[in-house]
Amino acid sequence: MLLVLVRAVKGPTVIDRLVAINVIGTKSIVLLLFAGILFGQLEMFVDIALGYGLLNYIVSIAASRYYQHRNSLEPEHSPGENPVS
Amino acid sequence: MPELPIWQFDILLLILVVLFAVVALSIRNLMGAAVVFGAYSFMMCLIWAGMGAVDVAFTEAAVGAGVSTVFVVSTLYNTSATMRSRPGGLAFKLFIGLVVTIAGAFLLSALPDFPKWGASDSPVNAKVAPYYILNTIADSHVPNVVTSVLADYRGFDTLLETTVVFIACIAIYSILRVDKAKLETGEPAAAPVPRYDPGDSLIVRQASRFMVPFMQLFALYVIAHGHYSPGGGFQGGVILGASLILLAISFDLKSLLRQWSEKTLMLLVAAGVFLYAAVGLACMFMGGDYLDYVFLDSILPGEKDMARSHGILLVEIGVGITVMFSMIAIHINLASNGRFDRGL
Amino acid sequence: MDYLGYILISTGLLFFLGTTIGLLRFPDFYTRMHAAGKGDTLSTVMILIGCICLVPMGLLLALKILLIINFIFIGSPTATHAMMDAGNKAGATPWRKDSK
Repeated sequence: MLLVLVRAVKGPTVIDRLVAINVIGTKSIVLLLFAGILFGQLEMFVDIALGYGLLNYIVSIAASRYYQHRNSLEPEHSPGENPVS
Repeated sequence: MPELPIWQFDILLLILVVLFAVVALSIRNLMGAAVVFGAYSFMMCLIWAGMGAVDVAFTEAAVGAGVSTVFVVSTLYNTSATMRSRPGGLAFKLFIGLVVTIAGAFLLSALPDFPKWGASDSPVNAKVAPYYILNTIADSHVPNVVTSVLADYRGFDTLLETTVVFIACIAIYSILRVDKAKLETGEPAAAPVPRYDPGDSLIVRQASRFMVPFMQLFALYVIAHGHYSPGGGFQGGVILGASLILLAISFDLKSLLRQWSEKTLMLLVAAGVFLYAAVGLACMFMGGDYLDYVFLDSILPGEKDMARSHGILLVEIGVGITVMFSMIAIHINLASNGRFDRGL
Repeated sequence: MDYLGYILISTGLLFFLGTTIGLLRFPDFYTRMHAAGKGDTLSTVMILIGCICLVPMGLLLALKILLIINFIFIGSPTATHAMMDAGNKAGATPWRKDSK
């Protein structure tokens, strides 16, 4: 997971970071289940993993919608700003 | 239970948390920083899960890593996503660094005075916790100690927390809501609606149509099963709110407002707090103290000592309702800049 | 049953390693997302099925983990599609072999 974080740091465009965070989120679900297995009480951690899986999806969709709308609204907030910088 | 590699897990997660926080603070583009903050929140959730505090971990995952990030993205949608350059030169930054270091050292100097982690003779573990752990099943038949402490033993706190969520929703509503009737001509008009909505995607719509009923069913399960598994009113309410936010962002904001009109949303936010307070008042009418559920047993079904368990369930439903509609109301306010017509 | 679990988990980890290397080394945003979307979903599904096979658990718990697998299987590729669409609309240009 640390390697994916490197991409989140380096990513030349913002959407790179978005992809990296999506991957980290999905892998963290697996990490939660491993923690549950280690503790021996898997039942507790499965609920949290399920909840977070749903919310990870929402964050990705929300962030993508932000970029989908940017190029269709005329007033740009600062002129000459690269939208994907 | 075998020897658990807890401290390796914790140290790895702590390093990751610091790394994520540093990365999030150093990214110049605010959208990237917002998304990395969401991941940082989830690392905190993992730390709490590692400590065994699953209810807190669930809440942190639901609120911090989910809904809070969507709120920041909605706000950035209406403002700009680039940071202006920071004022102040090198001397200013050195001064700030010195102040922060002194404050941090001051706080850390109290560290040796803490009792050892999990020691059985610290005041928390010796006097307070055993009472709750020993008495919760005898008093209220609820195995989840966190739920019974939150909703029964410390019920006033939870009532006021729910009121705080309600006040936050009202505050955002009253600051941002733009009344069209009083709109003056000086206000800059919103950009004209493009004829082709670029965010409209059949795949996202269908997937959301599939996921939303399951999310709501799971959230209702979390609320109702909060007596026995991590969960409870707050977490279930947040997931319910998140399902409505998913409807708002994958379909149009207006179609959500057609289903849940603004008046309905605001009334239901208040209804949850009202339910909680009304349960307390009903206890008073039955002859007990405020929020003492034992006296409700004549109007609740079931045997006499299940009254506290059912009282906790009613109160959790109230909390869930308030939190659910607060989340969606705050999202609509933030995303449409108070205009309630079109948004993220 | 245990061997199946071990095989599935190690294959899942192998796919995840491939995903990470792809995420780091591909030249363009679109190709990176290709690697991330497919490899991430597949590796997670395999690791979770391996967990079901490996750890003794009741039927309810296995059903819950199957539910997680279901949501990740449907949700993660959709999120990848949405991000790809967003990148396209925001104007990121694809990499061509002859440039730079």
